[in-house]
Amino acid sequence: MKNVSKDLAKTTEALKKLLPAEDILTFSFRSEKTAFTCVFADPVTDKELLGEQVIRPLSRFAGEPKAEEVGRHITSPEMKKVRALDELAQEILAGNPAVLWEGMDEAIVTGTKKVFTRAIAEPSTDVAVKGPREGFIEDMKTNTSLIRRRFKTGELRIETAEVGRRSRTSVAVCYLDGTAEREVVDEVRAKLGEIDIDIVPDSSYLTHFLSSRPYSLVKQVGTTEKPDIFCAKLAEGRVGLIVDGSPIALTVPYLLIEDFQSSEDYFVPPYRATFTRLLRLFALLVAIYLPAFYVAAQLFKLQLFPVRLLLTIAGSIRDIPFSPSLEMLLVLLVLEVLNEASIRMPKYVGMALSVVGALVLGETAVSAGFVSTPAIIIIAFSGIGLYAVPNLIEQTSVLRLAMLLVAGSVGTYGIILLTAFCFLYLVTTENFRTPLFAPFSPLIGKDLRDSVIKYNLGSLPTRPKVLKSPNKRRLK
Amino acid sequence: MNRISPRQLFFFLACVAPVGKIVLLPARLAEFAKNDLIFPAAVHFLVQALLVFCVLLLVKCGKSFYELLEDTFGKIAAKIVICLFALFLLFAALLPLLEQKLFVQSVFYDTLPSLVAFSPFFLFAAFLCAKPLAGFGRVWDVLAPIAIAGMAGVLLLSVGSADYAALLPVGAGKAGFFEALRTAASWFFDSALLLPLLGKIDYEKGIAWKGTLCYLAGAAVALFFLATFYGVFAETSVNQLFAFTKTSKYFSGITVLGRIDYLFIFALALVMAFYCAMPVQACVECVNEAFGRRPYLPTLLSVAFAAILFTLSVLLDYRFGEVLFAVTGALVWVYPVFTVLVPALSLLLRRDHAK
Repeated sequence: MKNVSKDLAKTTEALKKLLPAEDILTFSFRSEKTAFTCVFADPVTDKELLGEQVIRPLSRFAGEPKAEEVGRHITSPEMKKVRALDELAQEILAGNPAVLWEGMDEAIVTGTKKVFTRAIAEPSTDVAVKGPREGFIEDMKTNTSLIRRRFKTGELRIETAEVGRRSRTSVAVCYLDGTAEREVVDEVRAKLGEIDIDIVPDSSYLTHFLSSRPYSLVKQVGTTEKPDIFCAKLAEGRVGLIVDGSPIALTVPYLLIEDFQSSEDYFVPPYRATFTRLLRLFALLVAIYLPAFYVAAQLFKLQLFPVRLLLTIAGSIRDIPFSPSLEMLLVLLVLEVLNEASIRMPKYVGMALSVVGALVLGETAVSAGFVSTPAIIIIAFSGIGLYAVPNLIEQTSVLRLAMLLVAGSVGTYGIILLTAFCFLYLVTTENFRTPLFAPFSPLIGKDLRDSVIKYNLGSLPTRPKVLKSPNKRRLK
Repeated sequence: MNRISPRQLFFFLACVAPVGKIVLLPARLAEFAKNDLIFPAAVHFLVQALLVFCVLLLVKCGKSFYELLEDTFGKIAAKIVICLFALFLLFAALLPLLEQKLFVQSVFYDTLPSLVAFSPFFLFAAFLCAKPLAGFGRVWDVLAPIAIAGMAGVLLLSVGSADYAALLPVGAGKAGFFEALRTAASWFFDSALLLPLLGKIDYEKGIAWKGTLCYLAGAAVALFFLATFYGVFAETSVNQLFAFTKTSKYFSGITVLGRIDYLFIFALALVMAFYCAMPVQACVECVNEAFGRRPYLPTLLSVAFAAILFTLSVLLDYRFGEVLFAVTGALVWVYPVFTVLVPALSLLLRRDHAK
């Protein structure tokens, strides 16, 4: 049996066969003339709403048992007629109860889904001193409402797709019609359509499918937890994706420079924004290169140190039993372990852990002669520097380790070659036909105004050229 | 990504090409031309600028070098010429490569053998050369500011300690002028490097003039560096190999800050890594085009050429002096043939516009 039949018992039985789980419940009731059955998934259906909007009005139903008549009595704002049993089953599993009645080969699905939401809060990964503090939550509808609130225009398109054979996770594809490049929207749709995976627990699962080089270390899809950033990106001509169950929204096309821009940069004077962007870049470069150059200089070219610093270093490394590269790797490993443990541990233990880790371990390791003070200082500075660009931590921490390994084996020239390799890889990476390293390569003069340097808003009348938006001007 | 924009080409000519001339060449020029070292270099730069102009005139027709040869001489002759040209590029790659190997050993290492230190370069070259030649365009976008910063840093730290009066009187080194001219020929093959780029460069009006002016601007910086170099070292310049790593080390701040100039040297070394790989890349492109652009061919060729150069660098590990002697002596005639005659004669090729 593929469709709803006029025999209520048969349809109910068929649905039960399709959905044999114990939490799929049926509720049968009668009005004056008609017998009804409600089939719903217990954990995801708001039963109070179901009673209020569906069962109570229908129990007083006295009209002809036709879909239009029945529908007129249901007070839920969301409902639709469904004939196919498969579709009906999917709706029930999504939390939308099905109403069946005797003598009708159609069912009505009502939108009385139970919504589990936490309060909208400021995301811990993207805190701003100035500017909006709202963050996305796990509920897609709440997230789309946060976006809709910022765009009171019909140009905002929110298309919903389902991804995941079993999870059937809803994904909202958001874009501004006429501003986002049509080809990018089509490509996003096509890529989502091609995904064949059983479940999608988080938006990060989709990044793999949206990337042109899915096995690459380089990030190719933008992420944000803040609706104001998301909307700003849509306004620039990007396409955004919100995944039900994930507070992290995705945006494409992605440019590497995006992660050096914070939302606050747009709410402070441009010279301050430029300074902080340069600071982030400097911190990141220091975080990646400082441990590597320290090791390379110690192992292969002591001339790199000023004489007095060299004497200080020589004094502190004199009794260290490990080679410079091994010493640095050990300290780096301890830092990574501390970092990992402090994130996973309960907050009250975390405090004690930082005392034990930073003070006791660090202090005693130095006084016991296992590691030198410069090594601890360098790794600590590097560790802090990495967090200046929090969205790139996964990539930069691996790069830092790779630089350290290369420095320990082939020294400074190895670092230079690895840098050259990274440059080459970055400039040749494209996603959604957009070069990742733009506006630096290919060089796009106008787009440089909002890159490492931030111009005044009045000097940014057009959208980023690299995004090829059909609607070029944003400031009239 | 498969096209080179005029801007990217200008960046190469103005910022990347001069970097290859400041490593070993200044000491070699000083050996023969003494305080007149900038004159033979200037002659080479002028000749190359003229040839760059000639090659860039061919950009308008939109055809590759191989297609131009094929249209004029037919398939077989074109294949022979392009293979000979590719062979020359591989040969031309050898000197900068060995030069850089020696530079890496003496500048970056106190203890490590150069072969160990320099070997990763061949992995990098193999990876780089497997990419389409036009991909270089984007690299030049990034390298240009790095090269400018590196060169500006080195020059700024050097000018204070340079005595430009050492360049006077002009004409003191005229006896060695032709010897210097002959020796320096091995470092000037920029116009030949442009030939494999033909057909991949986007045309814009005045590209030949603009390109030539950019090349001359880069040449002016290189000549200024030569003057500064001689100003710093004067008569002892002959022994100062790897010039750009040494001119700035007398900057007074260095005694307090350490070799701060190394930051700029690293920047220039990064640019040089790409510059050294470019003849190999051009060679891969020539052979690939002559043999029908099969998808696996660039990877295969780049690995093969990198392996050949690696083997040569192993075999010639302690024979740089002999190689230099041969390349700047008995074999020096190869350079004018391929870097002067071929680019100049390419103007005579049939230039029907690409369909």
